[in-house]
Amino acid sequence: MSANDVLDVLNISRDDQKGPAKKRQKTSTPVPRQTGMARELYNLLGPNTPPVNLTNTSNVSSKDKIKFKVSPWTRMPFNPNKGKKTGHEIILNHWVKGSQELLEQEDKDKPYFFEKFDVKLDIPQLVDEETFDAYMEEIRDHQKKVLLDRKQREKEKKVQEARERERRDKEKQKALEQAKSAEKSQEKSEEKKSEEKGSQEKSTGDKSTDKSNSDDKEGEEAGDKEGDEKEAEGEEAEAEGEAEAKAKEAEADKEDEDDEEYLSEPWTYEETKYLFELCNSFELKWPIIYDRYNYGTDRSPEDLREQFYTLCIKILDSQENKNTALIDSLRAYSKYRELDRKQYLENLLKRTPAEIAEEESLVIEARRFEMAAKKMLIERSHLLTLLDSPQSTQQVQQYLSSQGITNLYNHLMILDKNQKKRQLQQQQKSPNGNQEPIPPPIPVAASSSFKKDKSFQTHLQQYLAGVLKQNQNTTPASRQEANAIQQLLMKRLTQKEEEAYGLYFHGSEKLTPGVTLRSNQRLPGLQQKSSVLKSVNQVLQELDIPTAGGTNWKPVMPTRKTMTMYDELLKSVVALLELKKGKDKLESEITLIKSQRGLE
Amino acid sequence: MSSTNNSTNVYGGDEINAVVLDPGSYNTRLGYAGDDFPKVVVSSYYGIHENGNNKKNNKKLFGESIGVPRSNFDIKPIMKDSEIIDWDAATEQYSYYFNSILKIDFKEQPILITEPVWTDNKYRQKFVETFYETFSFPALYLAKAPTCVSFQQGRPNCLVVDLGHDSVSVTPVIDGICLLKNSMKTNYGGRFLDDQIKDLIKSKENLKVEGTYKIKSKTPVIYPNEAKYELRDLPENITESFDEFQKNKIWHEFKESVLEVPDRKLTTLNPKQAQSLKEFYSQDTYKRLFEFPTGQSLELGRERFELAESIFDPQITKFNDESLSKKYPPNSGELSIKSKYDDYRPLKRIRKAESNQSTPQPGNEETSESKSEVRGLSKLITHTLSSIDIDLRASVAHNIIVTGGVSLIPQLTERLYNELSNSNPGLKIRLHAVGNSSERVNQAWIGGSVLASLGTFHQMWVSKEEYEEAGPERILNQRFR
Repeated sequence: MSANDVLDVLNISRDDQKGPAKKRQKTSTPVPRQTGMARELYNLLGPNTPPVNLTNTSNVSSKDKIKFKVSPWTRMPFNPNKGKKTGHEIILNHWVKGSQELLEQEDKDKPYFFEKFDVKLDIPQLVDEETFDAYMEEIRDHQKKVLLDRKQREKEKKVQEARERERRDKEKQKALEQAKSAEKSQEKSEEKKSEEKGSQEKSTGDKSTDKSNSDDKEGEEAGDKEGDEKEAEGEEAEAEGEAEAKAKEAEADKEDEDDEEYLSEPWTYEETKYLFELCNSFELKWPIIYDRYNYGTDRSPEDLREQFYTLCIKILDSQENKNTALIDSLRAYSKYRELDRKQYLENLLKRTPAEIAEEESLVIEARRFEMAAKKMLIERSHLLTLLDSPQSTQQVQQYLSSQGITNLYNHLMILDKNQKKRQLQQQQKSPNGNQEPIPPPIPVAASSSFKKDKSFQTHLQQYLAGVLKQNQNTTPASRQEANAIQQLLMKRLTQKEEEAYGLYFHGSEKLTPGVTLRSNQRLPGLQQKSSVLKSVNQVLQELDIPTAGGTNWKPVMPTRKTMTMYDELLKSVVALLELKKGKDKLESEITLIKSQRGLE
Repeated sequence: MSSTNNSTNVYGGDEINAVVLDPGSYNTRLGYAGDDFPKVVVSSYYGIHENGNNKKNNKKLFGESIGVPRSNFDIKPIMKDSEIIDWDAATEQYSYYFNSILKIDFKEQPILITEPVWTDNKYRQKFVETFYETFSFPALYLAKAPTCVSFQQGRPNCLVVDLGHDSVSVTPVIDGICLLKNSMKTNYGGRFLDDQIKDLIKSKENLKVEGTYKIKSKTPVIYPNEAKYELRDLPENITESFDEFQKNKIWHEFKESVLEVPDRKLTTLNPKQAQSLKEFYSQDTYKRLFEFPTGQSLELGRERFELAESIFDPQITKFNDESLSKKYPPNSGELSIKSKYDDYRPLKRIRKAESNQSTPQPGNEETSESKSEVRGLSKLITHTLSSIDIDLRASVAHNIIVTGGVSLIPQLTERLYNELSNSNPGLKIRLHAVGNSSERVNQAWIGGSVLASLGTFHQMWVSKEEYEEAGPERILNQRFR
């Protein structure tokens, strides 16, 4: 007997009316294999269709796939230069997905797929020869001006340097004279000492020149040459100033000539054209342009760039819709600056291993200093936290008893432990990663800005503030959680607000640990004898005061206010009953005595 | 529509069945683009019957068949310094392999050919024209070998150090384009080592060396003992060049199996230190045996280090044979790249170039003698590094690719790294050498194979029509850059 028969007997019709017919169909078509469920278990389901469709979809789709035709691939000729104007026709062959007819149709108007990657740089066209000459004239004038400025500056610098040098020489001479005079006046034994002194001074002088040399290297160009010269001069401290000045002048003259050389070898139109061609074909890759530059003139890579850039500025400037940002960026190029920069780099690379090691050790030392400074800050803040006394929230009298003192002790111990934990956490944090140790925040209470007046706060807030301060010392996660509440509590709340937020201070009231419902709360008014409670119940029923019904002594809506009111009510009912009881007792006694005396 | 339409973000390939040819001075490599190894690696030598009048018998033989002893059979080189010296033989060799081995359909398959950086325009022009004339490829491309190597490694900015058979070259590659002015080449390569080995073996008395083809049977003995072997019956008139070729194979094998680069410099001015170094490398643990075809085994210790040391310090070698030392004049590695403007290049330029280049770390002492200086491998690289633009130096020094067969000598890259780091303290040196030995020997070919199967590359092919229209000057300098 199958489930269907049962349904039939019970006269329950299933969704589809043609149940038996379908059944036959089902048997004829192979049942799709079930996956994800044991066969026996599946059979137990009977004709009840499972709520989740268990048929394997991937199975079906793979069957469908087989029905598809194999997609054709065709070997097609193509011309990679098709879309280009200048390109020559080259017929190559590659395999393309799709049938031949379709591809041939498509092929007519489609460019070669990879053609879009052939990007050309947009380089300004070189002007004709006449305008070129005009431009070059302007450029040369400008360059001359720049060069003059430069020379002027260099001269000034040199004069300054010479002055410094003279001053230093004078100092040295003075030192020598002193040494000499000492020589004369003092005895032979002391003579040696003074000589030593003199030499020492001399050596310090040398050192100072060395220092200035290194400064030069870092700061200004041509450091090497002059540095060497100066060193030599430093050694020959007694050398006459006049000869030196002459040498300097000669040197300056020489450099003037060098500068002239910068400007020499003017650019011809042909050469510039050649340069522009190279720039075009090598897409402004300057190292390569310089590498392939073979015009027979002696040009440095910087020369090439300068010529190209200055000309481009002129050309772009003359255009109608000019791109000022581009021109400005081109103007930023300075051949001299570039040369200087390269010189610095060169010097940087020229360092010997010893120098590199020294530099590294200096860096390490500097870092060590930084670390030490930070460590000191941390220690200081630790010291401050130590000094931070726990804020007492209760009155002193509380601690006067022996139990109070143990409480205080425990409290302090917890605070101390928390502090240690915090320190540990910070120590753990600092070694992983290169995070710089952050000095912990100075505790609020220790800082002078902390105001100790709590007069504005309610009793509850004072208590909570104390609790929160403890919470600060616990894990940062809980701290974050507490933050919202904390912020709320730190605000000075009025009584009304407290009520609105449902805040209540239990004070000395004993609370059971854990969460309890107020409806289950044991009201103090209910702690009476059951006989009393019975009569209380009677009274309440008489008064039509709703209780939860039956033996349950609760108001229907147990809010705090209603609960307290209810409690009070209970108490007063009890008191009333007691009073009545007493009154009854007294009354009966009175009647008894009266009858005894025979008054009635 | 391309076949790779859907996934071009990752795959930029487009196979067109191009042919890649990498002629080297020892081996020539041929194959299809897109393969990971050349189909054919063949010796760059050919054999020819010298039959005087009978021209028909003057058939050239290539590949394995040149190793068979025949009477009046000469072996001749096709290449020297990676340049073709025997054009007839070269074209015949290539057409033999194109037609009968690779079975190329000339109409459909373009060809990519690698070339060294030191070829002049005349040679290149001849090369291209010969190819257009002899074979009917639809298009052709000349790629510089270092460019191919940089493509193989996928490093657009690098310094390719190629230790080949005939030449050792150092070429900076920037954005996939070789810097010709900064390239250096010496001939202290594989052949230099072979010749030293030959010289060394000659100096050993009583050491019989015969080509393997001559030996019928042998009994192994250790060197000072007399060799015991029987000779084969051979055809008459075996030519000297054939015998030489066979013997060269022995030197080659010797080089491959015995040489090792010492981990420190062998020449010192301090005699005491030199003595201790000598003793150190004479230890038994460093001794290796090599068995010659005659069955004699030679045990070498210090010598095998000294031989390899000559890659770094060529001056250490003193040939006993005068003709050999003439073959290797002191070579500083400077290349003279010729151009159409060479004729009226003023003298000053050369002086200036010299002084520009003379900024290597060691200081000024070296520059004064730089003209006559002999540059070993590390000096060559250091010099190249110091000559290229300062902005490129760091990136190039960080991508030094070591390739070529000679670089497979044990400990070579380690030693090179140490020397380079010491002489360039300011630069961070990093060497890249492929671990697979056959990949390292064929690196330029593999790079060419990569290049010729890129979809974007197909716009670079130059057809014969374009070549004729634009003229060799433009094509050679602007297209085959």
